[in-house]
Amino acid sequence: METVLFKSRYYAAYQSKKGRCFFVDIQDRRIKMSFCQLLAFRQKILAIDLDAHFDAELNRHGIEILTLCNREHLFVLDTLEVVDLKMFIQGIFTMSELHTLVTV
Amino acid sequence: MKDLVRQKLSINVDVMDMLNEQIAKEAHSSSIYLAMASWCDHNALNNSAKFFYDQAEEEREHMMKIFRFINDNGGTSYSPEVSNIPHDYNSLEEIFESALGQEINITKSIHNIVLKCRKVNDLATENFLQWFVKEQMEEEQTMRKALDLFELMGTDGIALKLIDERIPTIKG
Ligand SMILES: [Fe+2]
Ligand SMILES: [Fe+2]
Repeated sequence: METVLFKSRYYAAYQSKKGRCFFVDIQDRRIKMSFCQLLAFRQKILAIDLDAHFDAELNRHGIEILTLCNREHLFVLDTLEVVDLKMFIQGIFTMSELHTLVTV
Repeated sequence: MKDLVRQKLSINVDVMDMLNEQIAKEAHSSSIYLAMASWCDHNALNNSAKFFYDQAEEEREHMMKIFRFINDNGGTSYSPEVSNIPHDYNSLEEIFESALGQEINITKSIHNIVLKCRKVNDLATENFLQWFVKEQMEEEQTMRKALDLFELMGTDGIALKLIDERIPTIKG
């Protein structure tokens, strides 16, 4: 059982109701993540240079290769998916912040 | 609904990013002071060399303090890469001037994080950073005291040697 944390156009994040872990849906796959892995995931996404996607020299094909959980998973993302992913990861943590504000 | 993110992480995630940047800045400071120590050593300014060796160690301690704080509170600290360390200086005065400039930049950077903490109500990190706010005041004062020596004594002839002799007294 899990509850939705945040959904964007292409992705969804859940937190487990029983276990202390997270699930993220990316391209037809549901990936289980510990919090540390979620932070590492976030770090990787923040590090993606979105500007390079609009520069034919820097990123000619406009794709991004993303590996997760110590390279257990590999994804190839296009520019739209990357834009959405950046908003998605922001959303996950903003939800937690809002939650904190509401409950104090 | 329980908030698992909050259960795992006691500090604000954007503040955590800034703290990781601060880790890199402290590491950079440490390496710069080490380069300065080397310069002083080569120029037979033994007290100044010792001063900068100690300074380099202190900056590393600052770095470790932040590093542990992030990890202790559920975040992830990143071991920093250090680059762009200058080794060329024209004088001891130039070294202290650039040391003061560096400390001022670090002060600004710490203040910036404190202001962010206030914006996002991260009282835990704000409290943690108070130690750094105070430390930065002292660091600036120390460098300023060194520069006062140059103003007082000039740098001609024996003056430089006399300044080096007084360096152990500038640390408050
Ligand atoms: Fe420092
Ligand atoms: Fe310092």
